[in-house]
Amino acid sequence: MDGLTLVTTLAQSNIAAYLPIMVILTMALTFAIGNIVATKLIGPSRTGEIKGQAYESGMNPIGTARKRFNVRFFLIAMVFLVFDVEVVFLYPWADTFTDLATGGKDAALWLGRILFFLLTTVVAYLYGFRKGVFRFD
Amino acid sequence: MPEFITAQLESLLTAQFIVSVVTILLVVHVILLTVAYLIYVERKLSAYIQDRLGPNRVGFDFGLPFLSFLKGCLGLGQPLADGLKFLLKEDYAPSRVDKALFTLAPIIIIVPALMGFVIIPWGGVWDMPGFTIPIIGIDVAGGPVHVTGAAVNVGIIYLLAIASLGVYGVTLGGWASNSKFSFIGGLRATAQMISYEIPLGLSLLAALLLTGTVMPEGIIRYQADNGWLIFSQPVAAVIFFMAILAEANRAPFDNAEAEQELVGGYHTEYSSMRFALFFLAEYAHMVTSSAFFALMFLGGYQLLPFVGDPLTSPGAVSFWAVLAKFGVFMGKVVLLIAFMMVIRWTLPRLRYDQVMTLAWQSVIPISLIVVVATAVMIYLGHTGVLPMLGLNLVIVLGILVAQAFMPVTNTNAKLPLYGSRFNPVPGEFVNTRPTDPTALEDRPEQGTAPRAV
Repeated sequence: MDGLTLVTTLAQSNIAAYLPIMVILTMALTFAIGNIVATKLIGPSRTGEIKGQAYESGMNPIGTARKRFNVRFFLIAMVFLVFDVEVVFLYPWADTFTDLATGGKDAALWLGRILFFLLTTVVAYLYGFRKGVFRFD
Repeated sequence: MPEFITAQLESLLTAQFIVSVVTILLVVHVILLTVAYLIYVERKLSAYIQDRLGPNRVGFDFGLPFLSFLKGCLGLGQPLADGLKFLLKEDYAPSRVDKALFTLAPIIIIVPALMGFVIIPWGGVWDMPGFTIPIIGIDVAGGPVHVTGAAVNVGIIYLLAIASLGVYGVTLGGWASNSKFSFIGGLRATAQMISYEIPLGLSLLAALLLTGTVMPEGIIRYQADNGWLIFSQPVAAVIFFMAILAEANRAPFDNAEAEQELVGGYHTEYSSMRFALFFLAEYAHMVTSSAFFALMFLGGYQLLPFVGDPLTSPGAVSFWAVLAKFGVFMGKVVLLIAFMMVIRWTLPRLRYDQVMTLAWQSVIPISLIVVVATAVMIYLGHTGVLPMLGLNLVIVLGILVAQAFMPVTNTNAKLPLYGSRFNPVPGEFVNTRPTDPTALEDRPEQGTAPRAV
């Protein structure tokens, strides 16, 4: 039973390892749908014009909620895409960089490439900062 | 039984698959039961923090006379009563909601919350003896198996991918409700969750750079050999903990349900079981996040750092070792959840702009710095606990020094306003004293004589 060799031989990337995820997906879906259906069947059901109104602290609702909203949320979504895609690209590098840095002769090259990749993100961050994307006051 | 079915079953029913399914069945029920009782624990804990008693009436007597000795029971029947009440209440949808999405939202939020934990290696590796399944008579070969839901080798990536699906439920719930409170709450929660996903990923990256693997069991083995990652990456650990609090919409980052501003946030319009599913998802998310934190930074199932005790080290593969590891892991999860609860009832809630500013202007740059510094340290070959601890110390000191030179934005500045008597525009004087003489005569002590203004 020595260390990591055991682990790597056991958890092969075969599809059988993912089969239990199907089990839990089925269980979770059954739990969610079953609960909703059960409460639909058991619970009372009465409707009315006043009861169907949206909750606005007891006032009569004014207009609809489907309105335009602050542009900051769009900006956050776009900046999030930039950063999140970058982080996703970094995971394979993080997984292999220990081996590259300890054994490989191209370690400096790989470090440099990733640092350049991160630099592009820093440029994007600074641009957004100057544009006031990250100000929420 | 036909030959080909037996052959199919034999290839399907490996030892790993059986252990995985048993673990899933066990842990799902443990988690669902724990979640119900976590709500009880949170109410009790908050009560003690605020010098109250908390739930202490509902026992297990069900109103029956012959069970009257089960009355009280420290209020332990409360979660059962709550669950039954959720089931018996009306599942109501207001008339103007988007019915399909309104029903879909709680399902979308609870399914990822329940799916995330399958990669957590609760019991390490078990050297399972071979056995024969009684009725269908299939021999299962023994051997080392992972006591985990699914022994996939991209475990951490899977957990991240599944956990970030929860944001769809929040967005859809807020949008489909067609209520202004829900809509704004959903928007806020979405923006907050996606913002804190980046520091979550980056601080995780700093830890994964050291371990060099994304397999949960491998990460624990790295920590068994090299010390827990909370000692070598404390800054990343703190950022990770903040990020999981924000991801689970927990205090002090629970702006989505800031009741003074937004009533209930994205679940304002929900009732009965659909509301309960949102609630369950939050607590299930807490369990998964705590397990994730324990796995990444607290050494998983090991009892003590730096010391390989015989029962909970990765080399122990007996059945009792698996049980001990399970217990230690669950103990860590419970302690972390209790810590989250104490945080909730101790710290005041951050304002929304403070939450977002914290994410984008401080946490994300700091975690980027930690990642780059860790990469450089790995390139230089200093990956021990002491050099990494020194690096983290340097980063913290550097941040403290750099903070003095950062531009300061005063978000609470008072803006002069035309017509305001508290902060009028310069050169203007606003007087709101009553001008009618009779108004002043009503208050003989404060102003008897009407004065000309």
